Amino acid sequence: MTYGVARLTPDEQMRLERAYQDLMLLASECEVPAVRANARAALALVAQALNGQGLRYEHYSKNLKRL
Amino acid sequence: MTRQELEALQWRKLQAALGHAYEGSPFWRQRMDAAGCRPDQVRSLADYRERFPILTRDDITAAERDSPPYGTLASCDPRLAIRHHQTSGTTGKPPVRTFDTARDWAWASDMWCSGLYGMGIRPEDRAAVAFGYGLFIGFWGLHYALEKIGCTTIATGSFDSEGRIRLLLEAGITVLACTPTYAMRLALTARQMGVDLRDSHVKLVVTSGEPRPDATKHAIEEAFDAHCLDTAGMTEAATIFMFECPEEPGGCHIIESDFIEEVVDPESLRPAPYGERGVRLMTSLGREGIQMFRYWSNDLVVRRGHDECPCGRTWDWYQGGIQGRHDDMRKIRGVWFMPIMVEDVVRAMPEIDEFQCTLKTIDALDTLVIQIEPRADVPAERHAELAERFRAELKRQVSLNPVVELAAAGSLPRFEMKARRFKDARPAPTGTPA
Repeated sequence: MTYGVARLTPDEQMRLERAYQDLMLLASECEVPAVRANARAALALVAQALNGQGLRYEHYSKNLKRL
Repeated sequence: MTRQELEALQWRKLQAALGHAYEGSPFWRQRMDAAGCRPDQVRSLADYRERFPILTRDDITAAERDSPPYGTLASCDPRLAIRHHQTSGTTGKPPVRTFDTARDWAWASDMWCSGLYGMGIRPEDRAAVAFGYGLFIGFWGLHYALEKIGCTTIATGSFDSEGRIRLLLEAGITVLACTPTYAMRLALTARQMGVDLRDSHVKLVVTSGEPRPDATKHAIEEAFDAHCLDTAGMTEAATIFMFECPEEPGGCHIIESDFIEEVVDPESLRPAPYGERGVRLMTSLGREGIQMFRYWSNDLVVRRGHDECPCGRTWDWYQGGIQGRHDDMRKIRGVWFMPIMVEDVVRAMPEIDEFQCTLKTIDALDTLVIQIEPRADVPAERHAELAERFRAELKRQVSLNPVVELAAAGSLPRFEMKARRFKDARPAPTGTPA
C-alpha cells in the first residue's frame, strides 16, 4: 500500500456522530437562511465522513423539513 | 477490510438503497414490483445479481421522456438538487439527465478523493484541470475532490492549449487532469512552441473520459516525464468507480465500498469469470436522487482478483481499465475490431500525430480506411514509407489489412473530450429500419 491506514478513535467517532446530529437539526429546522444553508453544506460532508468510515449510511435529504 | 466485511457492507448499503428507491421513485417501484424484486424479496447479494433486472440507457431515457428532465426516475424531490448534469450526446442519442443533492455531491467528490489520494496526490500539490466546465460532468468531481484534499486547484476552462502550457510552467503545476487525447494534444502543442514539458514540475497526469491504451499511457509519460494514471466514471453514476493503482500499471481498482460491479458475457448475460472480457454492470450505492441498479454500461472490461495486485487493497481491479465499448465493436471480414486497437498502434509511432478510421464498403467488402496525419517535421518523402510501416504494423497486431491514406498536417479534427475517431459509413443492410 502506498500509505498507512488510519482509524478513528472512539472519542473521534462520538464527536463525528454528535456533529451530524447537531447539523441535521440546524439544516432541517433553523429559521436563519444563511445558517441553514451552511449547515446543510456541512451536513453533507459530515454525513459522507460517517459513510466513508462505514458508520452511518442514510438517504437523509427527504427528511429535511424545509427546502 | 476483508472481502467478507466488504460484502457485508455492500449488502447493508444495497438494502438501504433499494428501500429508498422503492419508496421514492415511481420508476423503480414499478420495476421492482414487476420483477418480484421488492426490497424485502431480494434475499442476498447473489440473489440480487441473479434476478434483479438489467437497466439500459434506453430505459433511463424513456423514464425521463415522460416528464422531463428527470421523469419518474428520481428517488427524492428534484428541488433538493444543487447540480444538474447530462451526457454529452456524442452518440446521437437523447442525453441522460441527472441531478445531485448536497449529500450526493459530497459522496461523488469523495469517490474522486479515493482515487486521487490512492494515486498519491496530497495537499501540497498544485493541480491544473484542463476541462470545459460545462453540462458534461467530466472533471467537475475531480475539481471538488482536489479542493477537499487541500490541493491548490486551478480551473483552466477558458485557456487554449498554449495558455495551458504556459500556466503549467509558470504556476509550478504538479498534477494535470485531462483526457488522454488532450494530454497528447498538449504534448504536440508544446513541441510546436519549442517547449519541453519534461522541464515542468508535473509529476502526475490524471486521465479520464476515454479508453486509454497502454501505448498512449507511455507516450504521455514520456512527453511529461511524469506518471500517467487513469480513472473512469459515468454521468449516470455522478463520479468515478475505478482508479489506476500506482503499483500495477494499467490495473484499475474498483471502488467496491460504493459500487457493486459485475462483468457479464454480452451474449449470454451470465457472469464472466476473472480474466475474461465482458460488459460491466454497475450498481451505484452512493446517490439518493438518481439511483442506478445493474446498469448496462457498454464498457468492455477484464476483471482481476484483488490479490493479484501487490498494493494490498482488497478491491478487485480491471486490467487495462476500460478496454473499449461493446457498441463500438465491429466484425470486419471475420475479425473483431475496436477503434482503440488502432490508437494502440498509432501512439507507439511518434511520427504520427492524429488519425481517423472509417469503415466502408468497397467492392462489396467491408474495408477499414485509416487516415493518418504525419508529424509536421516528418519530411514528405518519408510519408509513403510511414504509411506502409503503419499498415504492416496494424496487420501484424490486429490481423486487419486497412487502406491507409495520408492526411495533410493539421487537417484531421482534434478533440478535448470524448474523441470520435471512428465512423461506420457502411450502408445499412436492406430491411433495416431507418
